[in-house]
Amino acid sequence: MKYLFIIFLVSFRLSAQELFVMTEPASNMPTGSIGTRLSQSLMKEKFESGYNYHIVPEIMYGASKSLMLHASAFVSNRNTSLVVEGGSFYGKYRVFSVDDIHSHFRIAVYGRASFNNSDIHQEEIETMGHNSGFETGLVATQLINKLAISSSVSFEKALDNTSKNPFPDSQSNSATNYTLSFGKLVYPKVYTSLKQTNINLMLEFIGQKLNQNSKSFLDVVPSIQFIINSQARIDFAYRQQIYSNMLRTAPNGIYLKLEYTFFNVGN
Amino acid sequence: MKFLSKFLIAIVVLLSVTNSFTQISKAEIVATGLTCSMCSNAINKQLKKLPEVENVAIDLNTNTFTISLKKNNNISPKILKESVQKAGFFVGSMIVTMDFENQRIDDNFKIKKDNLNLIFIDTNSKTLNGLAKFKVLDKGYLVMKDFKKNLKNYSKYASYNLDNEDDYHLKPI
Repeated sequence: MKYLFIIFLVSFRLSAQELFVMTEPASNMPTGSIGTRLSQSLMKEKFESGYNYHIVPEIMYGASKSLMLHASAFVSNRNTSLVVEGGSFYGKYRVFSVDDIHSHFRIAVYGRASFNNSDIHQEEIETMGHNSGFETGLVATQLINKLAISSSVSFEKALDNTSKNPFPDSQSNSATNYTLSFGKLVYPKVYTSLKQTNINLMLEFIGQKLNQNSKSFLDVVPSIQFIINSQARIDFAYRQQIYSNMLRTAPNGIYLKLEYTFFNVGN
Repeated sequence: MKFLSKFLIAIVVLLSVTNSFTQISKAEIVATGLTCSMCSNAINKQLKKLPEVENVAIDLNTNTFTISLKKNNNISPKILKESVQKAGFFVGSMIVTMDFENQRIDDNFKIKKDNLNLIFIDTNSKTLNGLAKFKVLDKGYLVMKDFKKNLKNYSKYASYNLDNEDDYHLKPI
């Protein structure tokens, strides 16, 4: 029990409405708002005892009605104690939007550049906290009344983490990622005020295929989300591998995300 | 008698130049594409940031924002629309309340005030006195399919097709 869930109740961002836990929707956060997010994950090690604990503090900014920017830092216990291993920059641009009274369809393009100095210990490529590299993709989100469906496809490329931790030549250094997310507002049935807590249930599927050897995995992530005072967000999620034929050291585990939005800070 | 008639003509001319429309005192906006209170709050905060806005009342179930505006404001529907868009959403309908003093309007009648060109369409001839409500019919102030329908129905109003952002086509309701 070395890592009891240490929760710093400094919480984090918000965006539009399809506030998925594992993926970003095609919608952006409001212009001029700053979001702060603390993502934590506790994943069970498969080949040794113990847990892999990651903390990702993140700051998000709504630069315009179409563009949002994120900056993140990666902290983990990979080297026995908690160490800052790297960071990333992310940008998302909404390119298409059709809105109706209670529905919308939106498309956005996004890109991420990450650096990470930790050792490379698995075939899975993950530029959010494990690999140096970049990711670029397209996301489409459909909202119909209280149900949101979002899907993305992206290209991810891993680079050498450091000269001491190069990317192994024997592994595929690029991957294609797929996601499919469902989110449903379950409470309240009828809104009475902005102070009311909202509850969303989510179900997300996350897949990756390594481009050079066609190895792949597929995970499912059910989650519950509380939106408090129309400004703060708490997400609990559980990630479970459905299948995989690639080396992954800690695929299953839990996530806790805290988020708080400061409206109209910039701009 | 001659003097009096000249005087009357002068008043009529003066009225038609300065005209009696003062300002938008209230706007009711239905925002589209949102179903969560966090989204409504984003719009709420954007609207409240505007110096002209006195108060925003929200119906979360219909996404209707009723905006009371300060006296002697100089706000245009465009500024309100842009606030909703900055929050990440769009305007599905906008109804503005304006104050008039014995203003005669006919179909396709135009009033110019500062940067606003108000064009009254789909209406009979009437005299406006006191508070009157109008639906804004321009692109960006209603859902796309309604706008496309209007393009056909309102083809007789030459300015409607022009999509000039300072022209506001208003239908009395």
